Amino acid sequence: MSLTGGVPEFVLPPPTGPYRRLNPTTKLLIAVAEALIAFGVRGWTGPLLVLAVVAASGLRARVGRSLLPFLLATIPLVASILLVNTFLYPGATDRIVVIGPLAPTWTGLAFAVQATLRVVAFAMSAAILGLTTAPDELVADLERRGMGRRTAFVLGATVRSVPRVIERVREITEAQRARGLDTEGRIWHRVRGLVPLAGPLIFGALTDVEEQTMALEARGFSAPTRRAVIRVLPDTPTQRGLRFALAAGTALLLVASLAGQLGFLP
Amino acid sequence: MVVAIAINIVLGYTVQTVLKLPIYLDSIGTILVGVLAGPIAGLVTGAASNLIWQYAPGIGGGTIGPFAITAAVIGVMAGIWGYLGVYRSRPASGPRLWLAAIVGVAVILFLASRIYNNPAYVDPNVGGYPGWVFGAIVGIAIVASLGVAGFILVRHDIAGAWVAVAGALTGIVAALVSAPIAAYVFGGVTGSGTDLIVAALRQGGQDVYHASLGQGLFSDPIDKTITSFVVFIVLTSLSPRVVARFPLGERIVSDREE
Repeated sequence: MSLTGGVPEFVLPPPTGPYRRLNPTTKLLIAVAEALIAFGVRGWTGPLLVLAVVAASGLRARVGRSLLPFLLATIPLVASILLVNTFLYPGATDRIVVIGPLAPTWTGLAFAVQATLRVVAFAMSAAILGLTTAPDELVADLERRGMGRRTAFVLGATVRSVPRVIERVREITEAQRARGLDTEGRIWHRVRGLVPLAGPLIFGALTDVEEQTMALEARGFSAPTRRAVIRVLPDTPTQRGLRFALAAGTALLLVASLAGQLGFLP
Repeated sequence: MVVAIAINIVLGYTVQTVLKLPIYLDSIGTILVGVLAGPIAGLVTGAASNLIWQYAPGIGGGTIGPFAITAAVIGVMAGIWGYLGVYRSRPASGPRLWLAAIVGVAVILFLASRIYNNPAYVDPNVGGYPGWVFGAIVGIAIVASLGVAGFILVRHDIAGAWVAVAGALTGIVAALVSAPIAAYVFGGVTGSGTDLIVAALRQGGQDVYHASLGQGLFSDPIDKTITSFVVFIVLTSLSPRVVARFPLGERIVSDREE
């Protein structure tokens, strides 16, 4: 059971807005299709198409402002893509300008901007899924559709355990700092902090494994019968059609792109 | 597996933000699971880590998803090392200990020489090769050699040589798998400090793929060797009772209990 502001998810009001109300599997499939099209359809069309869909989805889901941290997180990668490719694109001779030893090229710039659009479109598509979908709902819906209980457990438990592990790392870091761990000094001193940080975290995690295994066994995790899924999330024939169209359309686009049949697109 | 995935996600981030080290260390959990539970468990842990990190509601985002294939391969290799008993402590003394230290150093120097002799750095025909790369390679090779030799001699454990070899090989394979992904998906860069090496290689005349591969072959063996040593230290610090519970546990504890 995950908590949001101290309140269990199942007592929260249902999601509002047309995009948020979509079935979690539909939203997952939209995100995956967007990623595949952004990277699979080369040139300008793939990333621009995905960016347009992502922007529309973001507005529809009213998460525009919440996307900002995810957008900012791409800055190091985007800056690197733009700098390295614009200034050091192999074999490009169409120089934009020559400033001393630096000679950015149009070919490099075009390649860099395309790569940037792909990265941003991909990161935003994943972010929208994260911002509009509750982990428990997604796992419950996937389990209802036949996903194995072990996979469902790994997905659900991992998402729930990350905040707990983050909290444990914070405690370990503070405890080790109190014992003299140097996190600001020379690189050699910081390297020596690796094992004091990683060790207690892993020891604790491995000890937890035994407790978790026993708790799961006590609750019939290995029982041969199929687990009853209590939460059935709303789905509609329109969404089923949308999922089918998305899967088929994406596959078709990727095959056409690989076969070089999309050369007419910019 | 659940805690290993969480460790992968959290520890890589912590090492970079708390200790501010220019290494990834986002595969400690994957290697740990692979070594303890075999190649399939390692594969699933590696791939799931990246996919969950990318897509999981609440913790998702970023751009790590496409490297799920690399993480899966790292997990498989860790499983093979676990099956071969590479991470088993092997106490020794005398000539065997010195021989292991020499082997460990030789492996590192061999890898460093392969990087040092990369045509992008030394071929005057391609031009523009940066001098700082030579210093970095020599410096890192010396530090790594001293580290591995010291580890083996101080701990009186020849397993250090095996762990160094396993880590370096894992890094090389990870670089080979990552390069086409980075080149195709991200234009050859990853957004980390190692992009300086990509820039240097591009300046040296390499194309997008080979510059990405050259960067991976430079940084991944270092990263995976450090990760392997962290995992080895953790495993040797655990009680044999805990380690022996895992499917490949007996391949790790057998010699320690003698």
